[in-house]
Amino acid sequence: MRTNRLLPLAAAAALLVTACGGGGESVDTGGGGGGGGDNVLVAAVSAEPDQFDPHVTNAYASFQVLENVYDTLVVPSAEDLTMQPSLAESWTTSDDGLSWTFTLRDGVTFHDGSEFDSADVVYSFKRIIDEELSNAYRFATVSDVTAPDPRTVVVTLTRPTPNLLELIGSFKGMAIVSENAADELDLQSEANGTGPFQLESSDANATVLTTFDDHWGGAPSIDGVEFRYITEPTAALTALRNGEIQWTDNVPPQNVADLEGDEEVELGSVTSVEYFYMSMNYAVPPFDNRDVRRAIATAIDRDEVTQAARFGAAQPNQTAIPEGSPFFLEYAPFTPDQDAARQLLEQAGVQTPITMGLMVTDEYPETVAAAQVIASQLEPVGIDVEIQEEDFATWLDRQSEGDFDAFMLSWIGNIDPADFYENQHLSTGGSNYQGYSNPQVDDLLTRAATEPDQAARKALYDQAAQLIVDDVSYLYLYNPDEVQAWAPGLTGYQVRADSAIDFANVELP
Amino acid sequence: MTQLPTPGATPAAPPPAEPLPTAAPVRPRWRETLGLLARNPTAAVSAVVLVLIVLVAVFDETLAPDGPNEQDPSLQLQPPSWAHPFGTDEFGRDVFSRVILGAATSLRVGFLSVAFALVVGTLIGLLAGFYGTWVDDVLMRLMDVLFAFPAVLLAIAIVAIRGAGPANAILAIGIVYVPIFARVTRASVLGVREEVYVRASRSVGASDWRLITRHVLPNAAPPIIVQTSVSLAFAVLAEAALSFLGLGPRRPDPSWGLMLADGRGFIEQAWWYAVFPGLAIVVTVLCFNLLGDGLRDVLDPRQRTLMAGSGR
Repeated sequence: MRTNRLLPLAAAAALLVTACGGGGESVDTGGGGGGGGDNVLVAAVSAEPDQFDPHVTNAYASFQVLENVYDTLVVPSAEDLTMQPSLAESWTTSDDGLSWTFTLRDGVTFHDGSEFDSADVVYSFKRIIDEELSNAYRFATVSDVTAPDPRTVVVTLTRPTPNLLELIGSFKGMAIVSENAADELDLQSEANGTGPFQLESSDANATVLTTFDDHWGGAPSIDGVEFRYITEPTAALTALRNGEIQWTDNVPPQNVADLEGDEEVELGSVTSVEYFYMSMNYAVPPFDNRDVRRAIATAIDRDEVTQAARFGAAQPNQTAIPEGSPFFLEYAPFTPDQDAARQLLEQAGVQTPITMGLMVTDEYPETVAAAQVIASQLEPVGIDVEIQEEDFATWLDRQSEGDFDAFMLSWIGNIDPADFYENQHLSTGGSNYQGYSNPQVDDLLTRAATEPDQAARKALYDQAAQLIVDDVSYLYLYNPDEVQAWAPGLTGYQVRADSAIDFANVELP
Repeated sequence: MTQLPTPGATPAAPPPAEPLPTAAPVRPRWRETLGLLARNPTAAVSAVVLVLIVLVAVFDETLAPDGPNEQDPSLQLQPPSWAHPFGTDEFGRDVFSRVILGAATSLRVGFLSVAFALVVGTLIGLLAGFYGTWVDDVLMRLMDVLFAFPAVLLAIAIVAIRGAGPANAILAIGIVYVPIFARVTRASVLGVREEVYVRASRSVGASDWRLITRHVLPNAAPPIIVQTSVSLAFAVLAEAALSFLGLGPRRPDPSWGLMLADGRGFIEQAWWYAVFPGLAIVVTVLCFNLLGDGLRDVLDPRQRTLMAGSGR
């Protein structure tokens, strides 16, 4: 899941390439086609996919492509991210909640022409479970996946799992591949899915998809998609203005305000489910002291951080889940107040000034910007922030070794509250690098995971979230906007809060 | 100015019972050099500007209206105005203050790295040039190895090994310039070593130490001085390059190269963010170079005679 966090950050990577030229091409786009053909959508993304095996990769750059190549049993709706039928037409749950029966869609074919049936689902899920691939943890409560007939799949569970649909459908890491695909194909570079586009080729310059005419949802109106990699946001924007590309998610945040009135560029923006946070190491005094952490949370002005890091293209938030989600919790106990922060530090009995190393990475430049604001806000209350800018590999090493006072990053692509909290705040959570341990939170999260009633479930998560915020396990900062830009006249595209990129219904001008 | 020796403020005083004045009277010579330099307008202006920059760097905290990381979110990316002559950056920090505070960083790295290169390089060049034979071979081949690397690449490699930060930037740039000073010094020493006054001094039993300090080094110095000025220009530039690449001072410490790197992303919205730190680099580097050119003219004995003779 860390993987998934790779995405919007790259959009802000404003530092590395020159502002001019998206590759030195000057293409006459007579009609809106790009370099890729008359009716091919040319999309600029910031990074090259590492590989195309949906069950193995963790890179957002890969999922940008795979979103258009594979399908899942269920899929989050573009509007509110609730789970909708996709390859499964309908499903029922047994009374004890321990068995889910999915009825599969008829008339679905894979890119190679073979029929889609329940054996493909069983193969795909068992591949993830048996080979312990990236997302095996999503099947933690699954005891078996069976196919009583070609149109039916039964998932049996060890305990009720109300969020099973989110677990198996929230992104293409749970894609359905054709039976034995891993033996017949090199999934690292080839694909055989049921999605609207087929993987044609991929090299260091671009990944090319062609339209799959027999797609169950109807063939796309465009002939294909060419993903080009443009790291520098300013260059991507220039390429869009020149007509070399027709779509990009690599928009410099500082340009967003200007672009809103720009006739050469259409801008789409939604508050995403991504959240940026700062985390302090419970193993390093004085950050093990709750009052010290609360003092820091009180000294930080999230509006200012958001303004400098995102130029306002974000919603400050003291919790993780963005406003608009059914699981949003309106809870903002901290009001920026430096006197109160000083008092808390005094109460904690620590000798100021304290030095705090704040680890950020230039791979996600907005963390570097936010850190400078945080440093200036903490200085007057007696906390000297030493900004430690690391390359991402070193950053990850130091994080997993616990070699930090504090760090800042984001989580992206979470839909269900379990995804927001379990891994990060359970005592045993795999991503609980800060070392948070609160038995009450553990109990609430464990109960919430098996609570079938949605309202009761939300109440449990709300209680857990309040404790997490109060204890400052994470110091939540903001939910960034997912900002994308495209050529005027391009229709049928919708910016999604989960940052998935779906070109199936796009029509070029 | 005349070529006559004018010892100090008491020219009428009879020569005391001292050893005869040496061939190169030290004090009059540097005065004369300064006088010649003052009549070269480009060099003179450069020197004055550099003195101003150094003063700015020394009194930076007094001169800068704001602190280095003093932020005001309501003033994000404001264009130049009376309150903020160089505008503000994305944190609402005063670019003018940060350019002033960045001068100290740039000059400190520049001076210290060149000082390191000067001391180490001159020593190596002196030893190699004065003793010749295998000492020369060993030392200069070592310098050739260092010289074989492109300067900035070598600096980046050193910083990559030792980690980013101002101290390592100084060391890295210093090491890069050692071979240049070693070569210049050696070439100059080779010429001076065979001069009559050196051989004469040696024949009356002067020690190596005395020969080097009293005769060889002073007379080999002019090219080294010119090289120092030129190297300062390159060192300031190298510091900016390393900072630009994120290998120098850490944010939020002000540094011209870092400001240039950060400002580049905003060139469409806020030209002032990158332009003023860039100008500061250009002016400083240009002045060091022009001063170096002026010094070269003034310190070259033939040029010097010409300039003095023509009264210009």
